[in-house]
Amino acid sequence: MSLRGAAAIIGIAELPTQRATPGRSSLGLMGDAARIAVHDAHLRKEDIDGLITEGGTVYPGLVSEYLGLRPRFASGASMMGASGATATTLAAMAVQNGLANNVLVVIGSARNNAIPEAGAGPTGIATELDATVGTAAGAGTGYAMMYKKHMELYGTTQEQLAHVAANQRFNTLENPNSAFQGQPISVEDVMASRYVNYPLRLLECVMPCGGAAAIVVTSADRAKASHNKPVYILGSGVGTDPQTAWQRPVITETPVARSAPIAFEMSGYTPRDIQFAEFYDCYTILVSMCLEDSGLVQKGEIGPFFASTDTTYKGAFPINTDGGQLSSGQPNLAGGFRHVVEGARQIMGRAETRQVARNDLCLVNG
Amino acid sequence: MTSEYKKPLPRPAMNPEVSKPFWEGTKKHELWMQYCLNHNGHFFYPREVCPICWAPQDRLVWQKVSGKGRVFSYTTVFQPAIPAFAEEAPYIHALIEVDEGARIIGNVIDIPQEDVAANKLEVNQRVEAVFEDVTDEWTLVKWKPIGEG
Repeated sequence: MSLRGAAAIIGIAELPTQRATPGRSSLGLMGDAARIAVHDAHLRKEDIDGLITEGGTVYPGLVSEYLGLRPRFASGASMMGASGATATTLAAMAVQNGLANNVLVVIGSARNNAIPEAGAGPTGIATELDATVGTAAGAGTGYAMMYKKHMELYGTTQEQLAHVAANQRFNTLENPNSAFQGQPISVEDVMASRYVNYPLRLLECVMPCGGAAAIVVTSADRAKASHNKPVYILGSGVGTDPQTAWQRPVITETPVARSAPIAFEMSGYTPRDIQFAEFYDCYTILVSMCLEDSGLVQKGEIGPFFASTDTTYKGAFPINTDGGQLSSGQPNLAGGFRHVVEGARQIMGRAETRQVARNDLCLVNG
Repeated sequence: MTSEYKKPLPRPAMNPEVSKPFWEGTKKHELWMQYCLNHNGHFFYPREVCPICWAPQDRLVWQKVSGKGRVFSYTTVFQPAIPAFAEEAPYIHALIEVDEGARIIGNVIDIPQEDVAANKLEVNQRVEAVFEDVTDEWTLVKWKPIGEG
């Protein structure tokens, strides 16, 4: 039993990522994304019989209540930023096994000071220890320690990783859904930006935003009649690690080292076959380590790779063709979902001015 | 000194009973960590089950450790999340591997401020625990560079 080709994405939606979403709630944004995705799939609300949401902060029951859905299959992904890609995998499993015909995955986060953010789960050790040491603004404290260790172990330089931010910014310049549309930056600009916490500079960090995205996943049989070109899921793996970065046994390795081999084996393809990649990118170092751990780049070689490879949508190996989160903004828990949506959009051939030339096989890390 | 300290104090949220020996240790200016009798190794942070071998609580004991270790990695914080840290920035937030093998986060202090700002601290720098009685109730562990040896 394998997921290979059992399910396909047939509808996509992405709201513009915005610095603030005045007057809008997370549930409201999710409603917009859901409507657009179901419409995009040429389905009706009544056709949706499965629902997967982020789940850790907004339970599926509340989303189905707000959207007036009565799914016969529902679940939360509860994987923080990785919830979108995890939910896509769960949706494929659900349709393959007959738990639902058409699964809506919808994740959204408002950024609106008038509405408190959804309650966080257990804090872990953070309030007992991390807060007393003085973490950096944002979530970069652990990532910076990974970065420094990566520099130490592999000779990775900050200038090499500055290419990540500059190339992704090029990709986002004509993206109407990006908070940074039309604002180019160079490697020099990245290097000249101030430190948030060494080795992380400001332009290597995501900007918190609001936004939402949704997809519709259906079975391979139903996908044959799809209005859009079906985007078949050929393989998937879902890994995780201690959520506190300093608790990880190997801080320069990500769970992708364990999930990617499963996805490749299931698909029958190898890293060499992949034409472009959409990878989680809250910080330059994280997307870099994930690319290594996926097998697309050898461990420790990501610095030279970025220094020598054009990773823009026009380049030899396009990465984060919509600008990713670094250059479009991070809509909180919907952040990683954008990589699923952009991968599907490119395969459908709907990426307009940033369409990649070879668009049959994409590796997504949400 | 109680009224002076403006930065966050520890707020144990996972299980205050379990982490208590750690904080009682710092109060005595000693570093204590849990030791697992099943796999014979230390770990941190305090838990009710060993994260290495899943040994249950009755196989876990507390031991005083050497208080010496190395900088496993670090970040220099220029923009702190919490405003109360702002006047100290930049400062070092490090991951320390103690000689007994467990890892703990903490500030590395006793480095000239210009060296902190220039990110001169080296990974693998040898360090030793020092203790700051920040209030009558709480003592925090920090780390200062020491020579090899």
